[in-house]
Amino acid sequence: MRDVKDTRSTRARINLGLTYAVMIFFTVMAIYPLIWLAMNSFKTTTEFQLNKLGIPRDWVLVNYQDAWVRGKFPSLILNSIIYTGITTVATLIFSFMAGFAFAKIPNKATKYIHGSFIIGLLLTLQSIMVPLFLIINWVGLYNSRLGVLIPYIGIAMPMGIYLGTEYIKAIPTALIESARIDGATYMKIFIAIIVPMAAPVGVTVAILTVTGTWNEFMLINILTSSDALKSLPVGVQKFAGALSSDFGKQFAALVIGLIPMLLFYMFFRKEITKGVAAGAVKG
Amino acid sequence: MPKTHTLADAKREQRRAYWTLVLPGFLIYISVMAFPTIFSIFLSLSDYSGGKLFGGKPVHLVGFKWYQNLFSDEYFYLALKNNMWIVFVSVFGQIPLGFFLAYVLYRGIVKFADFFQTMIYLPTVISTVVIGILWKSFFAPYGAFPELVRLFNPQYEYGISNHPMLPVLFVILWMYTGMYLIIFIANLQKIDSAVIEAARIDGATEGQTLRYIILPALSGVLVTTAILAISGSLKSFDLIYVMTAGGPANRTSVLSIYMFDKAFKGAPRYPLANAISTVMVIISFILIGLTKWVEKKFGGRE
Repeated sequence: MRDVKDTRSTRARINLGLTYAVMIFFTVMAIYPLIWLAMNSFKTTTEFQLNKLGIPRDWVLVNYQDAWVRGKFPSLILNSIIYTGITTVATLIFSFMAGFAFAKIPNKATKYIHGSFIIGLLLTLQSIMVPLFLIINWVGLYNSRLGVLIPYIGIAMPMGIYLGTEYIKAIPTALIESARIDGATYMKIFIAIIVPMAAPVGVTVAILTVTGTWNEFMLINILTSSDALKSLPVGVQKFAGALSSDFGKQFAALVIGLIPMLLFYMFFRKEITKGVAAGAVKG
Repeated sequence: MPKTHTLADAKREQRRAYWTLVLPGFLIYISVMAFPTIFSIFLSLSDYSGGKLFGGKPVHLVGFKWYQNLFSDEYFYLALKNNMWIVFVSVFGQIPLGFFLAYVLYRGIVKFADFFQTMIYLPTVISTVVIGILWKSFFAPYGAFPELVRLFNPQYEYGISNHPMLPVLFVILWMYTGMYLIIFIANLQKIDSAVIEAARIDGATEGQTLRYIILPALSGVLVTTAILAISGSLKSFDLIYVMTAGGPANRTSVLSIYMFDKAFKGAPRYPLANAISTVMVIISFILIGLTKWVEKKFGGRE
């Protein structure tokens, strides 16, 4: 009896050890490239060529100083903040407004309009990229902030509408009706009741919009051409992508490019994972 | 004094409020998503060749000419094949791997679950552009990858790969597995843990619990993730654009890169580019339909 138990616990222990090994393997796989990148950003290009895998012999900051200035990072980061901030706020406001109307104000049009937003969840950027480029050109918004912001807001709307409407539906209608009886207008109800009560789903929508907009590359790359309007991903691609032999500077630029999202992730880890799970509703 | 309001007044206020609330978002959405989608189909059937959109050279409908053009181009099939590889790696690589990792963490088999989850998800939040350049430098002839291989095999010589898609597929697997991990964990946590404990007390092994309780409860989520993986794979653009731009010699091209090249490289061929994007949408609907059909046929019984 004792023998059986012993072999069983030995086997269990081996299994547990193996499981740990596998988990550690995947964790190392996930972060090693990033650590490799960070380490090499502190080497001079000459040192990198001699020592590609090890830790730097002298930790130098010159790559960062160079990349920061020559890559025009202050303006790139500022632009990204502007695009992401305005898109997120506008998406929140518009999708809460429409979500409130869809959920709580009876109207025959809801079925069609709400339905068209839901179809939008399935639309891909590719299918609108070329026509959008032509339309933006035609209305004269090519190479302007507005010409980037309007598409960004429109693209973020379906997810905001979907999550917002579902959430607002769950707010008790009795609350709204009693406010109506007291003479409140729908606008007053929206501001005084809906916005505060829907704040939790607002966080989710904001997280999804921020990550999506901050990292967006394809559209802004074709809708703008001037340096002053570039966002961080486009700037990193144009600057670091072109440095095919000046590795130190390239790596420093990449590290600068990933720091904002890394910070965002560190501060909002719980909310981000919750948002991703909530956003996985396509189909 | 609400009493003095007539019913008609209230109805009017209600209607006005409805449209005031709906219209701003709806107009933006229509103009940047709904209209361009329809416009794209129209363009793919036209002979528009650049220049002024309205009031320039008259635009005619030319039928399915561009689609025929597309289906007789060998590069279309090359790009399609690469897309299918990405679909394959996503559905049969990311999803099982993400599920496995989520399962280990959810069942509390290892400690520090929070740490593992945070680290494995990390690559997903970083901008694709940064990831693409990082890996491009890593896999470059003068990068770290040849060095790393030489640690194990000193004879290794860097040559032009016969499988240029392999690094791309690897990076896709590396980058997005964490997303499926998160989705599976969130849904595993919705399963009533009392059911699992009861099964374990009744003598079910870990494997049986997985087979008869957990997997059936997740069948809907598996389909959703498969759909996400398929539509995400067909959309992949940024990473490949940055890593290889479709090269060498278009061998890592995918449909979206192929479309981008037709529209924005050299003389613009907008109708052809729109034919490609329409075909992409149709393919993704077919694959999603297929996934739903598989679900109906083989699983998803409550």
